[in-house]
Amino acid sequence: MSSQITLTSSDGVDISVDRTVAERSILIKNMLEDLGDSGEPIPIPNVNEAVLKKVIEWCEHHKNDPVTATDDDDNRRKTTDIDEWDQKFMQVDQEMLFEIILAANYLDIKALLDVGCKTVANMIKGKSPEEIRKTFNIQNDFTPEEEDQIRRENEWAEE
Amino acid sequence: MSPRDHTVGVTGRQRPSVSLRPRTKSVAQPVVLPHQYTFDQLRKASLAEASDDDSSAFEEMESFPDVVPRRRAAKSFSHLRHPMDGLVALGRRLSVTLRHKSSKHNLSSSGDDSSEAEDHYYRVTAQSTHKRNTLSGSWASRSRAWSHGVNSSSINRRPSLNDISALHGLFVPTAPISGPIPGHGTEPPVLPNDRFAGAAARAAAAAQNELMELARREVVRVEHDLLNKSESRVPRDSESGIGIDLRDPSELPATDLNIHRFDPVSYLPAEIMTQVLSYLDPASLMEAESVSSAWHRQACSPHVWRHVFRRCYPRRPLSSTASKKKQSYGVGKATPNQDWKRMYMVRRALEQRWKDGKAAAIYLHGHQDSVYCAQFDEDKIITGSRDRTIRVWDAHYPWSCRKIIGPAPNDVTPAGPVNNPAQQATGKSPFATICPPSVPVGDIASSIDEAVDCHSASILCLKFDEEIMVTGSSDYSCIVWDIKNNYRPIRRLQGHRAGVLDVCFDDRYIVSCSKDMTVCVWDRHTGALLKQLIGHRGPVNAVQLRGDFVVSVSGDGLAKLWNVVDGHCVKEFLSKDRGLACVEFSDDGRTILTGGNDRTIYQFDANTGELVKELRGHSDLIRSLHLDSMNKRIVSGSYDMSVKVFDAESGELSIDMPGWTTSWMLNVQSDYRRIVATSQDARAVIMDFGYGLDDIELLEE
Repeated sequence: MSSQITLTSSDGVDISVDRTVAERSILIKNMLEDLGDSGEPIPIPNVNEAVLKKVIEWCEHHKNDPVTATDDDDNRRKTTDIDEWDQKFMQVDQEMLFEIILAANYLDIKALLDVGCKTVANMIKGKSPEEIRKTFNIQNDFTPEEEDQIRRENEWAEE
Repeated sequence: MSPRDHTVGVTGRQRPSVSLRPRTKSVAQPVVLPHQYTFDQLRKASLAEASDDDSSAFEEMESFPDVVPRRRAAKSFSHLRHPMDGLVALGRRLSVTLRHKSSKHNLSSSGDDSSEAEDHYYRVTAQSTHKRNTLSGSWASRSRAWSHGVNSSSINRRPSLNDISALHGLFVPTAPISGPIPGHGTEPPVLPNDRFAGAAARAAAAAQNELMELARREVVRVEHDLLNKSESRVPRDSESGIGIDLRDPSELPATDLNIHRFDPVSYLPAEIMTQVLSYLDPASLMEAESVSSAWHRQACSPHVWRHVFRRCYPRRPLSSTASKKKQSYGVGKATPNQDWKRMYMVRRALEQRWKDGKAAAIYLHGHQDSVYCAQFDEDKIITGSRDRTIRVWDAHYPWSCRKIIGPAPNDVTPAGPVNNPAQQATGKSPFATICPPSVPVGDIASSIDEAVDCHSASILCLKFDEEIMVTGSSDYSCIVWDIKNNYRPIRRLQGHRAGVLDVCFDDRYIVSCSKDMTVCVWDRHTGALLKQLIGHRGPVNAVQLRGDFVVSVSGDGLAKLWNVVDGHCVKEFLSKDRGLACVEFSDDGRTILTGGNDRTIYQFDANTGELVKELRGHSDLIRSLHLDSMNKRIVSGSYDMSVKVFDAESGELSIDMPGWTTSWMLNVQSDYRRIVATSQDARAVIMDFGYGLDDIELLEE
């Protein structure tokens, strides 16, 4: 089972990886099951080399994780904790972070997608709107009146 | 690109330091300090890049060598191999960059991600030279980035001083801010940079000359910052710790103005953003709503709020031993068009009412004597009384009596004070008192005319679930009623030789306890007497069932834990000295609460038998207990005429409601929004914390 397969990134770079590692991606796993292992490189047209390498690094580290039996959405979202290795792994710039999330979504690696989403959530958590805008360089397109309106709506329903 | 974007991308950040300040044109060398400093950092960075693969800060830089990303300009770091080039360019760039730090467009790198900030810092330095590099080198990739022209990239792009337009900005300070500036729109500047490199240097120097002192100060600050950031995890001295802690995040100098920041709402597909937001706590999510209109749309989504609400208020716990008794947790119905955010708001207001001890009193009049027992769900309240009748009340306005089971009663006129203000001086009184008019007995559907079997003495206890109700009486028997078939009696359980004081049941068993000092276990479906638990030396006042275990308390002062299967007593729990009146067994079967003559609530660990806590506050016998594990509340009713609520975690008394009726409290039960207490003064009172809250009905299950 430790056979190697080759993935080709969107920018045309071939990356060799253990099949078991690559199969953390449900997309690749299904593809291999469908097509059999012909030995030919598998094109990953949506993910460039840098991101693909990061994703493989993650899969490598998590290759022995039990495949989560519960695909239950509600269960997966119960905790917002991220384990330490993943936290370190996710210490990348915003572009890379978002690209990893997109890649995890595309490659169908739920656990990595969860970690990515939690990381972004942690960047939002506990911040004021202005701090969030600064974090992500977002233009405030609300008028002060609109902003006030939202704030009022979220105030205590009573008293 | 809209004019607005243009303004933002081009002048927004530059304005304070570049465009609006007149400066002297004078030739001077670029300040040495900044670029040397930065170059050192750069060199360290590149060295580290080569040697240290584990540092994500560097790895990330390495991971974009000459790759052409789909949306933005390539990040090339080849300039690192040309130190002199980089150094000169850096000097020029930094002289401007530094002034930006005093601009109001500060970026917060608030404390929680200091490593990110550190990471960003390196990117600042790297990128500034990178800008120049792309100008001279990778036109192809650069124009690709231009042609994308999406909001995020244009906003994030910081115009390089090396291109001609920036010089315009520098030397023509009165130029209109929103006017088109060559090279900053969708068109790339088309001038090779080398020719203008000197000009840029002069420009930078000129500006530097004027703002030298400020810049120097900034450099020191930046350096200080960098130290702080790189050491923030292990502060070596108090100074750096102070430097980072004392500043408001919004005042941090924008050391990382140049780093790429992207709006996740426009970068990520909606379903992923939904997932991101669903990890937030409600307070953060509400803040996120105010970020921008796009964020508002996403953050208000019911899909997001459903997760957030569910995390705050989970559905009933999946416990095999959980009782089947129907109790609402106030988490609403999972309908497709449920307004989860509104539900959260209502729930939050309700929790505040509990914190404040603010409830309305709704009095149920009708019984002619002490109301010994009651149970309620979202739909109905069922009470049993010394007057030998069982009444079914509507749990909603106008709380009318729907049904009377038992001998025909006379009409009663509520008399006397509804509550006892003298008592209430020490605790919470109702903020509103409602006495629904009594329905004339003749108007209430009664099963008495059919001469059905019913109790011939006081109703001492009752429990119901979706299918059946079981009552126990001073007539020594229990009756099982069919709830779904208009409360028709199914069978009578006979075997006790004295009044049946308490009853409980689950899928398999009905357990009753009696003044005859025994506990009887019956088959729920056949009514057969399966076991008699003998051992108490006084009347058995209360009983609870979880799985295979029964806990009973007695006037002899003992609580006993029994195994139903073999009928053996497994454990005993002692009160300090006197008789016990009531008991609660937590849904998970781990905690046992007892109350009685000691005026103290004892909390035991069911597994170890250990006394965990003693809850004090009552001044007379504790007659009834209810544990709401989900909401972490212990409710108690006492002969001191008060109902009290304790925090189940801390054991602290949280709400004291004395004198809401004029006599002993005999039974209490609570759910997410109310307590129903019954009294010796022939009334039941609903202590409704949700009374009058808008949309409170959303929480009903």
